[in-house]
Amino acid sequence: MAKFDVNGGQNVEVSIKIPSEKSLGEQLEIMEEYTQVHMQCSGKPNAYREVECLKVLYPKMFRSIEPQDKIAGRIDFLPIGFGCVTSLGGVGHYCVFNKLRSFQESLDSEADKKRVDFLYDYWLENDLKTIYCNEVLTETTIGRFIDVEYPLIATARLSGMMLDYPKLLEKGIGGLRKDLEAGLGNEPDNHFYIGALGCLDLFVQSAEHLRISALKQMEDCDEKRRKELDTICKGLEKIKCDKPETFHEALQLFWLFALLAGVINYGRLDDYLGPYMAADIDNGIITEDEAYEYLYALWTMIENRRTTVNGRIIVGGRGRKHPKEADRFLHIAMKVAKNCRYVEPQFTLRFDHDTSEEIWDEALDALGAGATYPTLYNDDVNIPAVAYGMRIDEKTAEQYVPFGCTEFVIQGQSTGTPNVCINLLKILNIFMNEGIDPMDGKDKSGEFIMRSLSEFDTFDKFYEGYKAFLAYYLDLSVYAQYHSYEVMNRHVSFLFSSILTDDCIARGKALLDGGVRYLGGTNETYGNINTSDSLWAIKHLVYDTKKYTLKELNQALLASFEGYEHIRKDCLNCDKYGNDLDTADNIANDLYEFVAKGVRERGIKVGMQYFLIVISNNQLNTEWGNRTAASPDGRLSGMYMNPANNPQGGADKSGPTALLNSISKFDAKYHAGSVQNIKFSPNMFNENRVVIKQLFKTYFARGGCHLMVTVIDKGILEDAVKHPEKYPNLIVRVSGFSAVFVNLSSHVQQELLSRMLYD
Amino acid sequence: MQKKLSIMEIERFAIHDGPGIRTTVFLQGCPLHCLWCANPESQKIGMHLLYFAHKCVGCGACYRACQYEAISFENERPVFHREKCVQCRKCEEVCISNAIHFSGEVMEVSDIVDRILRDKEYYKNSGGGVTISGGEAFVQFEGFMELLKQCKEHKIHTAVETCGQYSTEKIREVMPLVDLFLFDFKHTNAQKLYEYTGGDLDQILANIQYVASTDPTKIIIRVPVLPGFNFDEQSLGDMFDKIVEYGIKNVHLLPYHTLGISKYEQLGRPYTFASTTSVMKEELVPYKKLGENKGLKVQIGG
Repeated sequence: MAKFDVNGGQNVEVSIKIPSEKSLGEQLEIMEEYTQVHMQCSGKPNAYREVECLKVLYPKMFRSIEPQDKIAGRIDFLPIGFGCVTSLGGVGHYCVFNKLRSFQESLDSEADKKRVDFLYDYWLENDLKTIYCNEVLTETTIGRFIDVEYPLIATARLSGMMLDYPKLLEKGIGGLRKDLEAGLGNEPDNHFYIGALGCLDLFVQSAEHLRISALKQMEDCDEKRRKELDTICKGLEKIKCDKPETFHEALQLFWLFALLAGVINYGRLDDYLGPYMAADIDNGIITEDEAYEYLYALWTMIENRRTTVNGRIIVGGRGRKHPKEADRFLHIAMKVAKNCRYVEPQFTLRFDHDTSEEIWDEALDALGAGATYPTLYNDDVNIPAVAYGMRIDEKTAEQYVPFGCTEFVIQGQSTGTPNVCINLLKILNIFMNEGIDPMDGKDKSGEFIMRSLSEFDTFDKFYEGYKAFLAYYLDLSVYAQYHSYEVMNRHVSFLFSSILTDDCIARGKALLDGGVRYLGGTNETYGNINTSDSLWAIKHLVYDTKKYTLKELNQALLASFEGYEHIRKDCLNCDKYGNDLDTADNIANDLYEFVAKGVRERGIKVGMQYFLIVISNNQLNTEWGNRTAASPDGRLSGMYMNPANNPQGGADKSGPTALLNSISKFDAKYHAGSVQNIKFSPNMFNENRVVIKQLFKTYFARGGCHLMVTVIDKGILEDAVKHPEKYPNLIVRVSGFSAVFVNLSSHVQQELLSRMLYD
Repeated sequence: MQKKLSIMEIERFAIHDGPGIRTTVFLQGCPLHCLWCANPESQKIGMHLLYFAHKCVGCGACYRACQYEAISFENERPVFHREKCVQCRKCEEVCISNAIHFSGEVMEVSDIVDRILRDKEYYKNSGGGVTISGGEAFVQFEGFMELLKQCKEHKIHTAVETCGQYSTEKIREVMPLVDLFLFDFKHTNAQKLYEYTGGDLDQILANIQYVASTDPTKIIIRVPVLPGFNFDEQSLGDMFDKIVEYGIKNVHLLPYHTLGISKYEQLGRPYTFASTTSVMKEELVPYKKLGENKGLKVQIGG
């Protein structure tokens, strides 16, 4: 068993969470009760234990309804509890140890602190992620999320679930209950059905709890608010059993379910909420302005969950059941996204060649105003790509939705959680240094038999050697991913999510127990472009022009080019990806296909529906870069790595068409999402709107799958570094997420500044 | 035989040198020597050493690498004796801070066209194309013609940015291959024009008139607005009158900018134009009106 630090941070957390409403004493009591129930239910079926534990949390953990809320439902998280993602609480029955420790530090009495020690010790043996880590992590090859000393990191989590909300709205809680009871009638001992019914009871209790809370608030408020609270009360009463009839009820039902399920991405809202909104407007129940206010309030509630890299709302695109009503929703949502300037929700537009000019113009207006939203996804490319990549038909692929930083899942039908991340560049460094990571001098070759550099007398041999070593790590990655499902399934059922995921109810099984229709997963790859640019530099400088030997180059790298500045200059002068050059771009594509196909084939072999790479990015390119040694592309030791599928900052010098041509070269069918960033100054973007629109449209027609656009003044970013107090609300696109610039670490800020800005 | 061109630069996504998204090919060589020229390294054909003093760390590597005594080292900085330079580029190679750069390269026309074709779809969708600029495109006439021919074979919209200082015979020859002339027009006073640019007003006007009379829709007049030269009502008014007289509709007023001044230092040449203050776009608004009152369509900026 590898030693690892259970107190380490587990995910990117840029947005600062809103503190719990409960007193420290109450929090401690809840955590103790949860722990007690968890202990008592040891040996009981997963589903039973899950419901009993959830009963401790809900409805207790609901916060009070805020004056601006148009629907009810806010939840607090404690360091111990139940969840499915690391962005909110933790995974399964979890304990977030560093948060528990800081909770402990805020306590006054020594006796209370001891109580926490007891909890801490219990969960060391029982926290799901820790159990997983104990089974999977190794001393030198696989590290925990996020330990940047390792070439590969792995975790257990169930990120990115996009539930079947259309089914929820269509059936209502009562309809779901009937389905479950019918299942139970056939299999009276089925614990999944029993547990799922328990969850629906919890839903009803939570609705009742919120209703009472709203009723109380009505005693002391103005007339306008009283009316709103009255609507909230009636809505909550209605959705306890009946299916929703109004926009308000539909919104309330979807939201409350999402909260209880612990999911943080919301799917194709335009299609499943649009019909309710349109009907209410047409019937005079609400005005368009009120619809706008509803969405604004929803945006605020999503922002307040502060999940940093999630909160996806998807609008537009093919495969919508109610395109007309959905577009009415889309137009209002676009206004909200432009005006509210939150980092979440991540407002996402799917489009294809038929998308109207009106929608295009609205999207460009929002981007031009600096909203960083919508992010743009091209259905013409992505639907056939998803169909191939996930091995499903195109009709099903039409329901693809990006979550988190960009990973695709099929709404209501698949899992796609990225439970492994791999650093291709670190692996190259280790390979070039015959097994030793130059960053810390540790041997990270695992069981792979390293060969001496001197054996590689041709570039092809060198490249093949690297690929063989990389393949070893790809093997580890698929094992780590698949095993995360096995470990999670051993301990939890994720009942709420299972209820709204096909085919759990039909099969009577929890989603990781054989319930989910498409068991997929994703593998985040990092340093892709640094690696391919490095390979090109090696080919050019060592093998083609023979300017340096591999040994000489390696010496320069080990010194991070100190004393070898002339070699660095030659490295930097080699052709670079992002300039539409066949030299660098072809090797980038070759490496991409090797990794992407390798991961996909391994996933299929192990029995998954799909396991695909994502070239996304949170800020891990910077954090991992800080612990990755110098590379032959000219990058210094400790420097950030390239963001997502983009060139290293400043390497693209040939303008936006060349950049877009380079980034559209990868065949989208081998990945499950790849982030492409582009950055313009407001002058360039807004004064040349017609040209910019044609630039984007041409890129997409040429096969571009996606684009994330930031419109910002370089001077403003530089000023914000010096005077953060002046820019509390300045939003930038990092890659897979947007963030308030001044909340980012200085390394990440520098990486953002390094990126090419088209002015 | 393959035709070659000496070029200064190929700029992709050029959006200020004609309509839509374009690629601009800057050719070397110019018959004029406008004092304000923003691309002095394009005036003469060949490679030109640019020295970026702000990047120099004073290591002396360039001085040690030069075998032709073209660099001496004084006060911990290199001093270039350009007349001795044989353009072996050793100094550029050894400079770790990239303070030395040789501008200018010779390319096969077909290679230039390959580069241009990379963005073909962008041109098509945005109504763009290729712009051949300079220097003065007509100086390397044979290669220039070949470049235009090959672009037309690929059905690419062609624009030429030109000063008009060459025989009308030449313009007659390129006329069928060019979709748009971005024609520089700087002054109506022959003496003043000659003094500041070396240009021959009659020749230039004859060429403008030729294009305008053949197809007035194919020409946009571009007036660089220069303080102390033509930035006054009289000069601009006279030019507008001439443009109207030729039946030309479109005029771009290009405000003088100082972005080229540093290049003179880099080339080791003096900047002799009197003004070193940029003209703001807003300052040109009254002149835009002046032209519009004369029936012209005037745009500020390219």
